[in-house]
Amino acid sequence: MRPRRLSFAKSLTTGLVVAIVIVQVYPLAWLFVTSLRPAQDFAAGNPFGIPSSLTLDNYVRAFEMADLPQYILNSFVVTAASSALIVFLGMMAAYALQVLGFRGSKVVLGLFLIGIIVPVQVALVPLFVNYARVGLLNTYQSMIIPLVGFALPISIYLFTSFFQYIPRETYEAASLDGAGPYRIFFGITMPLSTNTVITVVFVNGIFIWNDFIFANTFVFTEGLKTIPLGLQNFIGAMGSVDWTATFAAVCVTVTPLLLVFLVLNKAIIYGLESGSTKG
Amino acid sequence: MLPHRSRLSVLVFLLPPLALYVIAVLFPILQSLVLSFFQWDGITDMEFVGIDNYIRMLTRDDIFWKAFGNALVYLAVCLFFQLGVSLFVANLLTYVGRGKEVVKTLLLLPAIISTVAISFLFQEIYSFEPSGLINQILEFVGLGNLATPWLSNVDTVLVAVSAPEGWRFLGLYMLILYAAILAVPKELEEAARLDGASSWRVFTEIRFPYIRPVWITTMIMATTYSLRGFDIPYLLTNGGPGQSSELLTTYMFKTAFRSTDFGYASTISVFIVVECIVAVGLIFLLLRRRSDVTS
Repeated sequence: MRPRRLSFAKSLTTGLVVAIVIVQVYPLAWLFVTSLRPAQDFAAGNPFGIPSSLTLDNYVRAFEMADLPQYILNSFVVTAASSALIVFLGMMAAYALQVLGFRGSKVVLGLFLIGIIVPVQVALVPLFVNYARVGLLNTYQSMIIPLVGFALPISIYLFTSFFQYIPRETYEAASLDGAGPYRIFFGITMPLSTNTVITVVFVNGIFIWNDFIFANTFVFTEGLKTIPLGLQNFIGAMGSVDWTATFAAVCVTVTPLLLVFLVLNKAIIYGLESGSTKG
Repeated sequence: MLPHRSRLSVLVFLLPPLALYVIAVLFPILQSLVLSFFQWDGITDMEFVGIDNYIRMLTRDDIFWKAFGNALVYLAVCLFFQLGVSLFVANLLTYVGRGKEVVKTLLLLPAIISTVAISFLFQEIYSFEPSGLINQILEFVGLGNLATPWLSNVDTVLVAVSAPEGWRFLGLYMLILYAAILAVPKELEEAARLDGASSWRVFTEIRFPYIRPVWITTMIMATTYSLRGFDIPYLLTNGGPGQSSELLTTYMFKTAFRSTDFGYASTISVFIVVECIVAVGLIFLLLRRRSDVTS
């Protein structure tokens, strides 16, 4: 009896996992198939059935309806600049707090860590008012500043936890050789931190690439719109939507991140796992 | 501490990140606090009104209380997926033989899609005319009488706008919890199994106590992220129909940028911050106490 029960439990487990995978992935697969479906077929027939034929027309229309390459470029600029700042500033702060150390460093660290639980919405009105005053509304910086500011706490947290594991002796040896704090930072701390950098970039990169709330609040012109904002152009007047073209646009704009994700998924998964469990 | 450090080097490393953090986060929090005591439309002069905004919010504003209640439902739905289902799946996954890596990657896929794209997707999934995925499935299993326009039915809309947020991060939290379970010493589990412990008991007596620290982190992440949830309800229904899917965050956003009532909007933001701090405090309090009892 026992082996039989075991195998039943095993297939039940597998079945449940497969069911969850379907729930998570089917909608995305459907979105992709719909982007290849003729528009008339989608409107007339059963949108969740099997398409009668496949076409790339939707992609042609998607590129006509909106400046997708511009959105992708903008998202790329914002994500690259923000990620670089989050890594570099986070590393600097963690170095000052953890490695150099000073009286009151615990208080400053606490001040940074508060940021982890502060909801981003609290900054919208003040930043809007401040940007309007100094002419920063509708710029790349208007998105980058809060994206970096709200990501810094996690970044600093991850870097300080990692720096704890670098043995004192490493620094002492370098100090005896006459290396100052700057040379130690660039020569020892930075090169050792590669894994944490990867974690920080991935954890934040996905959120930044997809940021909607800051872009939606601070950016108004077509030329600066990032992907999430640009996609909204596909909602026509009176809320009518060219669904197949919209889904084609979604597929185009998801592609860069998806490629990175699929190529580097081992590193990303490792980063996400270690980021939240060690520490 | 480095022997060669100097006060200057500390400042060189600390000031740039601190400056940006102050500009983007700390100063705006203080500004919101100050603005919450004023009436201001952004154009005319600011008018000091004392605690009037707070009195209005707590005693006279029905929409605020409706939005607060909705935000709690939104939180509950998100936590159901992100903590409940994800913990369940993380556990199941440890019993799966092959293909774990593929499963992890696939479950994580929704997390990389933008909320705008997800909103488009769910608009179609919830659609009534033409019949969307959910209504078709109901039809298929013979529950066609339950079919409804999920996003315009006031009884279903709140859960309907909450579920996608839970759905999209299920994989992320599953991954974190799975990694934590893998770190549970195998000898402990095997010893328990040899003593005839069921999978359920292995989970409650060994795995769960062992992953408690990660569980607390996960709970704080999921709770604070859900309390600041905004994009999907804003994009799917914009709080409607009426106020039936209004959250505090969408209400605050509308108060600020539709009604340009910056003072009152700041009062609501201050409340949202307080709410997050209270939530984190409660999690610590409850879980600390329970771990004291068991140990």
